[in-house]
Amino acid sequence: MAAILEVKDLTKRYDGFTLDHVSFQVPGGCIMGLIGENGAGKSTTIKAVLDLIHRDAGTVTFWGQELSASSDLKEDIGVVFDGISFYETLTPAQVGRILGAAYRRWDDGLYKQYLERFSIPKEKEIKGLSKGMKAKLSIAAALSHRPKFLIMDEATSGLDPVMRDDMLDVFLEFVQDEEHSILMSSHITTDLEKVADYITFIHQGKLLFCKPKDELRYQYGIVRCGAAAFEQMDKADILAWRKEDYQWDVLVPDKEKARRLYKNVVVDDATIDDILLLYVKGERSK
Amino acid sequence: MKSLVLKDLYNIGHNAKSLVFMLAILTIAIVPASGVGGYLVMCIVLCSMMTVTTFTFDDMAGWTPYALVMPVTRREVVLAKYGVLAVFSTAGAAFGLVTGGVVGAVVGEYDLSMSAIAELAVIALVGWAVAFGTGSIAIPLVFRFGAERARILLILSYLIPGALIAGVYGLLQMAGTSISHGMLTALLCASPLLALAWGGVMYQIACAIFARKEY
Repeated sequence: MAAILEVKDLTKRYDGFTLDHVSFQVPGGCIMGLIGENGAGKSTTIKAVLDLIHRDAGTVTFWGQELSASSDLKEDIGVVFDGISFYETLTPAQVGRILGAAYRRWDDGLYKQYLERFSIPKEKEIKGLSKGMKAKLSIAAALSHRPKFLIMDEATSGLDPVMRDDMLDVFLEFVQDEEHSILMSSHITTDLEKVADYITFIHQGKLLFCKPKDELRYQYGIVRCGAAAFEQMDKADILAWRKEDYQWDVLVPDKEKARRLYKNVVVDDATIDDILLLYVKGERSK
Repeated sequence: MKSLVLKDLYNIGHNAKSLVFMLAILTIAIVPASGVGGYLVMCIVLCSMMTVTTFTFDDMAGWTPYALVMPVTRREVVLAKYGVLAVFSTAGAAFGLVTGGVVGAVVGEYDLSMSAIAELAVIALVGWAVAFGTGSIAIPLVFRFGAERARILLILSYLIPGALIAGVYGLLQMAGTSISHGMLTALLCASPLLALAWGGVMYQIACAIFARKEY
């Protein structure tokens, strides 16, 4: 499947922080989760992808075209930021009219369906909506011009688990169409474990990996062992490790191999949280 | 661009009641004391200043990055603010003409003769030009410094055109050119066109500033 979004050597320099030659691709029909600690560069990546900040180097193309080449390209992109983006005295109905005047493919019927599905009152001012309602309104607004690509920056962070689960269903429905994709940054890695097809991990402005989620879930593992067992481990088999109070947690890229090689250790499945924690707080093989 | 203007109209529309109430109070306070003309200009300028308030709303909501991911260009975002300035200035002129005219007629500050109506129309045109001209400078200032910091600098938007007009007038006097009553009337009537031309220059400056902004 051809890439919907292709990011190549994306670089942005600030005082004290550099987003350093980040490259990844988002193919069609998939959800890519963007993870990393606070300040890792996730939002900077999204802003640079959307041309909200000027890139120092690198290219970003949607369907092979630079965003600056045509504002029509934006018709195919839906964006949800962390926050509603509309002033609090507006109502969802007014938001619909504003966006209806902006997008050629705005589908007012679809927008009303989403408002009903998410139980958002049309005539209530935004300031009277809960944080979760505001997040759902943002998602409804982003989907109602029938975009092909959705970009979300911490869009579900204000939602409770039930609402988040409903939203994840909406996202999964959206990517049923092979021409659709989602790039979503989130701190809630359990959500990404449920829906993401790929995980892109940015740490301190650098891309650590961009891998299929199943590779992480089914191949990566955490070896829990003592100091002696850790010393015996082949460091080539280790991605990162961290010394806890009574044991070593060691991230390995092939848990079955670890189980075969190291009989007297426990090898657990690795969650995305485990992987993130070990990369960020642990030490890494050179 | 229509959506950008619509958003500002909705945002300000929420405060319209209090603005109308304030202007109504000012009509009663100012018209009997200072006449309809002064009130009319103040009305237009006050309404035009709501353009700066729209920037405050945008900042509070985090609107601008959202606008930039919509199918509009950065130049259209700037142009929309000039559109909103024109709408607010025109609305202020219409409101001032109606309320000022009615209150002026009631208190005897204004008669319904053709010359009085023509004079009021010229004042409305000049007031519109002042409001649009000063607002045109305010927009690049707000794009550069943000709504809150720019409020302090807004005095510049009155000083710059004031100094320019005084300078041109001084040069004309030094050159021994006197302005006849007819020429002055023609200049005043053409002032909205001059303000639009001035706005065109300021628009280009605002576009250059906004093109460099990061969100």
